[in-house]
Amino acid sequence: MFQEATPKDRKKYYTREWRIEKIPDFIRENIHLREFGFDHTGQGPNDRYKFFPNEKLLTKFIRYRAPYAAYSSVALYDRPWKREGWISSELVFDVDAKDIPVRPCKCDNVCEKCLDQAKEIVAMIIDTLEDDLGLEEIHIIYSGRGYHIRVLDPIILKSDSEVRSQILKYVIGGDVPRLSYTDFDGNIRNLDHFMVPLGYPKVFTERSRYIILHLNGDERIEDITRQTMNKILEYRNLIRADRWGEFKGIIGPMVYKRLIKGVAKLNLQLVDARVTVDLKRILRLPSSLHSKVSMICTHVDDLESFDPLRDAVPDFVKEKS
Amino acid sequence: MISTFFINPFSQEAKKIVKANGDLNKIIEENERLLNIIEYTTGQILDDDSKIPGSLWELSIKRIEWYLEKKNRQRYQPGYYRFLFNPKIAKFDVITFHILAQAIGAKFNPNSRESRIFIESEGEIVKERILRIEHQIRDDIISKILRELLNCEKPHWIQLEKLLENRRIKLTELILNDGKVILDKSAPKRIQQIINPIRENIIPALIMQETQEYLHKVHEMAAKIEPHPILVELADKIQEKISQEFFIPKKTGPGTIKASKLDFDAFPPCIKNTMKGVKAGNRNDAIVLLLTSFLSYARLYPAVFKERKPHKVSDFDPTLNITLNEILPIIYEAADNCEPPLFQDDPQEKLNITAKLGFGLHETPKLENEGESKWYTPMSCEKIKIHLPILCKPDNLCEKIQNPLTYYNRKRWQKKKEKGDKDIPGSNTKR
Repeated sequence: MFQEATPKDRKKYYTREWRIEKIPDFIRENIHLREFGFDHTGQGPNDRYKFFPNEKLLTKFIRYRAPYAAYSSVALYDRPWKREGWISSELVFDVDAKDIPVRPCKCDNVCEKCLDQAKEIVAMIIDTLEDDLGLEEIHIIYSGRGYHIRVLDPIILKSDSEVRSQILKYVIGGDVPRLSYTDFDGNIRNLDHFMVPLGYPKVFTERSRYIILHLNGDERIEDITRQTMNKILEYRNLIRADRWGEFKGIIGPMVYKRLIKGVAKLNLQLVDARVTVDLKRILRLPSSLHSKVSMICTHVDDLESFDPLRDAVPDFVKEKS
Repeated sequence: MISTFFINPFSQEAKKIVKANGDLNKIIEENERLLNIIEYTTGQILDDDSKIPGSLWELSIKRIEWYLEKKNRQRYQPGYYRFLFNPKIAKFDVITFHILAQAIGAKFNPNSRESRIFIESEGEIVKERILRIEHQIRDDIISKILRELLNCEKPHWIQLEKLLENRRIKLTELILNDGKVILDKSAPKRIQQIINPIRENIIPALIMQETQEYLHKVHEMAAKIEPHPILVELADKIQEKISQEFFIPKKTGPGTIKASKLDFDAFPPCIKNTMKGVKAGNRNDAIVLLLTSFLSYARLYPAVFKERKPHKVSDFDPTLNITLNEILPIIYEAADNCEPPLFQDDPQEKLNITAKLGFGLHETPKLENEGESKWYTPMSCEKIKIHLPILCKPDNLCEKIQNPLTYYNRKRWQKKKEKGDKDIPGSNTKR
């Protein structure tokens, strides 16, 4: 498992197993408006600005070239061969299992555990996209080493990078919530994020809980000493039990302030932010082969029951084992 | 009772007032009613007639002047501007807002310094007026204004997209549920407490946004219909006020160097080396990151590290003449000196240069694109040592400074001092 595919493996996959119908409808219906990119050697996608007016030509190209990796743009263009005439872009979140900032599994590349972790993060992000932002038409793609969340809700497709970056910060808890209010005497008071059980403070609390409960102690959190880290690990069960106030009391309010600031920065690493804010990104083509790990980039119909080690393994790998 | 149009100049009522009373031929006439309200405004200082606006024309100028003075702080005396926060002035105020918008929108680009200052001033006035509303009636007024501006108190967050785009609000500062922004009083009590400041903060942001869009519309219209001469005159007056504010000789501390023609002799070694041309590998960073930011700040705003005020290029170069005719040619020449010439195989770097000046990814800087990116400050010596070590050949002065721009200021300062320049504040030269 997770071995690099040989040119022979790739040929086998694209001629015997791959079919154009495996590309999700949301891409197939506008192939002629997307830019395609290919990596033929494993050095990165340097064959870009590819344009296919129809499925037939794309099929022919992919079957014939059996690329190391295939990509298509998240954007639609009037002239995709020039990347000109931008029409719209999907909103994308890239959760890569190997880049999760807190990985208790400590593996070098990816393993079952961190793929599960990536899945958990994806589920959290989707809940927020639906429940808080009210977004619909959300697709999940297993990318080979993690997941892509692709949002096709029409209300978001024309949004610019700034709006996307704000959505990103919201869904992953990238800002420490600023919660102040004026009391009856006119004094400004502050509330802690864990005291507000809805909206962004709730999202931030959930993401922070996730990070703190998954720390293995080796991570560096800005402005947090080794000693404090040990204390955090010692008392984090209080957070598991939702006793944030007590936890804050034990580690001290000033340290707590520094901790959540550092955690917000770790939250930002839950996804690859560059992918979300880039309107002209190319992403792995669902149905294509991630040759580095020999897994199929797969559209996920049901996240809960999806198991990449069962549902995204190509036949040539199964045959080998 | 405060009328909502005192806060929201875009309400239907406000528009009716402007329609009924906005005769441009009358705006320079002295208005006794206005003077009377000002005279009886609590806390208003009345010792200087020149500080009291007697007409709508003068009131328009006072609105901008208040903002400029407040921003400057050193001179600001709030007692001279109390009338701006007297709700009795509301009808006059709403007319002056529209006159100002028409004048500025007609004469200036919507992204110009003048437009920006007008938008910001409106936001500040609204903020301060909201703060001054009595506690008992504040909630009702705010609810009414929110309904006027959003048609509801639970808008979908996408309705606020423009505010997010312009960073007037942050999504993470809002309370969202199922796509709706909770701004009403249906939330539980603890939530209500935090919703209050959100309700109050979103109104100035919405009004600034509407003002910006209004200026765009006026500007488009002005291209088709010639604006009233009185509006053009008012715009000139506003421009003069703003220019005075920016180019007023401020009390400067030792070592402060003002914007002026570039003094090539005062450039630090790293910049001199960059101008001679850089080989591939360091070429892009040297031209785009180091030289572009250095030259633009050295020419337009050398005191950036001393004053620490965020500015845009057009604050110092409103027509972009200096940028286009002095700064960019030097950068492009340095790019041509590179091996191979920078734009020969990296033509897109021209866009990056424009972006580093704050005008987004475009071929050349244009006022309408300003603000699409940040105006980058020059990288520090420490960063240069790491990223462009080949350019760093320090001399004696380099040891005492941490940024090439500081080197430039210090060197120019020394040169002027040697010449006995009278403009150097705090120097030993006789005045």
